[in-house]
Amino acid sequence: MSASSAEASGETPSKDPVSGRLLSWVSTVDHKKIGILYISTALVFLGIGGLEALLIRVQLLFPNNTFLSPGLFNQMFTMHGTTMVFLVGMPVLIGFQNYFVPLMIGARDVAFPRLNAMSYWLLPFGGILLYFSFMTGQAPDAGWFSYAPLSTKPYNLMPAQDYWIIGLICLGIGSVAAAINIFVTVLQCRAPGMSLQRVPLFVWMSLMTAILTILALPALNAALAMLMIDRLLGAAFFEPARGGSALLWQHYFWVFGHPEVYILILPAFGMISEVIPVFSRKPIYGYAFVAGSSAVIVLLSYGVWAHHMFAVGLGMGADMFFAVGTLLIALPTGLKIFNWTATMWGGSIRLTTSMMFAVAFLLEFVIGGLTGVMFAAVPIDWQLTDTYFVVGHFHYVLIGGTVFGVFSATYYWFPKMTGRMLSERLGKWQLWLWVFGLNATFLSQHVLGVMGMPRRVYTYAEPGWMALNAIAGAGAVAMAAGTLVLLLNVWVSLRKGERSGDNPWGGFTLEWATTSPPPPENFDVIPRVESRRPVWDLDHPDSADSKFEKTPEDNGWRPDKSVTSVWAFVASEAMFFLLLLVSYVVFNTDQTGDIRSASVLDVARTGLFSIALLGSSFTLWRAESLLKAGRIPQFRRWLMLTIVLGSIFIGGQAIEYYGLISSDVTIDDNLFTATFFTVTGFHGLHVIVGLIALSILLGLAVKQDRNVLSGTALKAVGVYWHFVDVVWIAVFCIIYLRFLQ
Amino acid sequence: MIELIGDKILWNWWSPVWLVALLVTIAYGRRFGWKNHAKTAWLTTGLAVLVFAFVSPLGVLADGFLFSAHMIQHLLLLLVVPLCLVLSLPVVKSGAFPPAGGLSRLLSKPVVGWLLGLGAMWFWHVPAFCNAATESYAIGIVRSVSFLLTGILFWWPIYSPSKESRLPASNAVVYLFSACLGCTLLGIYITFTTITVCPAFASPEERLAMMTALYDAGMTSAVDQQLGGLLMWVPPCSLYVFAIISVLCRWYSVDDTEALALQAKTMVEASS
Ligand code: HEM
Ligand SMILES: [Cu+2]
Repeated sequence: MSASSAEASGETPSKDPVSGRLLSWVSTVDHKKIGILYISTALVFLGIGGLEALLIRVQLLFPNNTFLSPGLFNQMFTMHGTTMVFLVGMPVLIGFQNYFVPLMIGARDVAFPRLNAMSYWLLPFGGILLYFSFMTGQAPDAGWFSYAPLSTKPYNLMPAQDYWIIGLICLGIGSVAAAINIFVTVLQCRAPGMSLQRVPLFVWMSLMTAILTILALPALNAALAMLMIDRLLGAAFFEPARGGSALLWQHYFWVFGHPEVYILILPAFGMISEVIPVFSRKPIYGYAFVAGSSAVIVLLSYGVWAHHMFAVGLGMGADMFFAVGTLLIALPTGLKIFNWTATMWGGSIRLTTSMMFAVAFLLEFVIGGLTGVMFAAVPIDWQLTDTYFVVGHFHYVLIGGTVFGVFSATYYWFPKMTGRMLSERLGKWQLWLWVFGLNATFLSQHVLGVMGMPRRVYTYAEPGWMALNAIAGAGAVAMAAGTLVLLLNVWVSLRKGERSGDNPWGGFTLEWATTSPPPPENFDVIPRVESRRPVWDLDHPDSADSKFEKTPEDNGWRPDKSVTSVWAFVASEAMFFLLLLVSYVVFNTDQTGDIRSASVLDVARTGLFSIALLGSSFTLWRAESLLKAGRIPQFRRWLMLTIVLGSIFIGGQAIEYYGLISSDVTIDDNLFTATFFTVTGFHGLHVIVGLIALSILLGLAVKQDRNVLSGTALKAVGVYWHFVDVVWIAVFCIIYLRFLQ
Repeated sequence: MIELIGDKILWNWWSPVWLVALLVTIAYGRRFGWKNHAKTAWLTTGLAVLVFAFVSPLGVLADGFLFSAHMIQHLLLLLVVPLCLVLSLPVVKSGAFPPAGGLSRLLSKPVVGWLLGLGAMWFWHVPAFCNAATESYAIGIVRSVSFLLTGILFWWPIYSPSKESRLPASNAVVYLFSACLGCTLLGIYITFTTITVCPAFASPEERLAMMTALYDAGMTSAVDQQLGGLLMWVPPCSLYVFAIISVLCRWYSVDDTEALALQAKTMVEASS
């Protein structure tokens, strides 16, 4: 797909056509090409993950089947889940965001094109690491949520689990970087006139998803870091046998995991919020509600994670509160269905494939939502958790929601991306294959779940379950066939698809104001933006929205790129440290044994070094104001002093570590040392990164670099440096001064 | 249960809080009058909740018997009453309010409001202070007053009667969201920690009949603390979420004069 769309976009390859074209893709920093790279990579992994799903279905086709060994079965469902979430779902959505967010807000590119390329390349890198585990003789097999203690060393000796961890850390870093990029792009690169209250809903949802990603992924990263320290360095965060807590893993995973499901669904909400109005020829009904309720979802989604843990015994009180929270979050999710339906109501509807996928979304998503709400009733959850009912629930929302949203968007935007139409006839085939497949497979699984079939068990003895499993298998085949139809459709269309023109659907938003495919710089002229539907206004001056519906004007506020991105990064890092510190508090409320903070830490000495670190915040602040005042030599001196103070702190930490390790206090001793070294170690790493950044700034300042002297770079690094200091204050109070013990 | 609540001991009819409510009413009436019914309603609600928090069984149980009752009282005083009081102030034109003195300017800074509002929440749950405030009447009063005052400062940047001193929408959302994070952490800590956060509640000096009944129903002091932690966590966050919704509504509504002013501003910027 990639190579041929380059052809379609009329690229002129350099000398050697093939390698030149390849190079243009590998080295690209164009958000549109990166978007296509994301989507194509996701497609490759969709094939792999789909194959794994088919193998699972074959194994479950009849009772006591031996097609897959139990071990292989575990690997298949683990890899299927991991692949679909991290290598298909997130990338394909980020791909569409990458391609269309800049176009829809009238920007030339994302805020940081190079960072964008890096984020993308972490995807194949992480994916390959994950799949490389097969070469070690065995793939990861602890499930997509890798519950401890199953994922800890005593139960899982193979290196596969380590590949899983490292692969996911790569993917996590890539996702956060991509999210920061989208976040800053939406805030900073909007065309004049486009206030945040006027952005297309897909853009708004992308912004919300970015915030979710920035604040949720660090929870996973913290948990992964701790698991890795357990496995590689012999700590015992998650090993109950040595005092750790397997439950903590569940908490951390779901603190990430529940926001994650919204990361997967919000962009799809955005997609159908574009498609439905265009094919109903009406503006969306209740724009502010759709947008605002998504902001509420973002907030609430951090407060309901424990609904995945009703069965572990959190206590009545906790269960009750989380059940209510879950019901609450279902409101802003469910009520939007009415907005979309009301948008169609009385509109002149065109049932294109894209629109039909959007309608199918509405119907199927409601089913998945309803079964989700059933789980909110704790006793029902106790009955159904870990059965196929859960599998049915989340596939209805993920396929009926995310996948159908993506298909809808594919038919809607493919003409924009390539200049050619997809075949509607093949599209309808794909639609019906998928609708049949989804319901056949997952309705059966709902029933199987109620009958008591447990998920993740490689076979069953009950002959009565066979018929439904066979139907589920047939459904899986239909979905696979539907995917092949899509590939065929793309293939044929790229070769001889009908030319689409700039705006084949009569779309409303800015991406339709440029050519299909858009030129590298996106726009020649950006239309005036005076409402939520600028292209509609342009095409229908007499019934322009701007005449009839007032929306808040753009006040021209565009924050600085680098400072905003550093704030977003700092927020993400703050979550990371917060979780590490929580783990410290959890494991050290009552310390016993010889090795504890009171007996091994030298508070006075570290206090002295801490003063150096805090002092460096002050000197950096001085340096900043001197730079602002234009006193360059003094500025350089204070910057130098900052670096010296920071280095003194690091030196102090080195002395402390040396003392501890030489008196045989190491990370694998007990939970105090494990948490102590983890927290201070990660903090130290951050100080070192900050020192490197400051040194680079100093070097550039000596060379009279204009960027540095303009002050924004210093301000950005300054935010980071002060943040690192604030973290240290918390660390010092909790670990050394033993607050909260 | 019903008879128990009817128990005379559980009602503190002679609480001095009535006096406070009376004084506030008089002061309000003199300063602002009673013309605006919506504002009057906010004031009435605020004062009613204030009185309820001390006079009803809630207030009595909060006084050294039930940690969870204390927590409800705490939330009413820190969040609900101040919110109602701030909302009861009539909207003023720019610059008229608050008097632009140094201290009040400092106090109306969002960072200060946030730190004090959250600070009060955390500070009074340090075991030593929590105990002291429960056992000593005087310190208890200091605590209640500090709740009310810091609560007002907390809500000020969101619902201040002068539009100028309100935070812009995006900052207001961050302000409220981070406050939610703050009370979530405290709530989680109280819910799951093995430490007794407020030992005074674990062993009340005298037992009320009500307490025995509750204890028999399974309300041990551990459960009591867990419930208290959850109350610290979920209701405030829900309130913040509602506040966020109201901020978003404000943000999406087009206030004509405001929009025109902004338009003029952008035009000036564009031409310069
Ligand atoms: C309408 C509101 C929703 C509610 C009330 C809800 C509720 C729940 C609950 C309580 C569970 C835990 C079941 C158990 O393990 O016992 C669950 C599982 C799950 N939900 Fe939802 N859900 C909703 C929407 C969604 C959406 C929109 C998605 C994704 C797009 C989603 C994805 C998942 C996934 C992936 C799991 C299973 C994770 C696993 O155990 O592997 N849910 N849901
Ligand atoms: Cu969930």
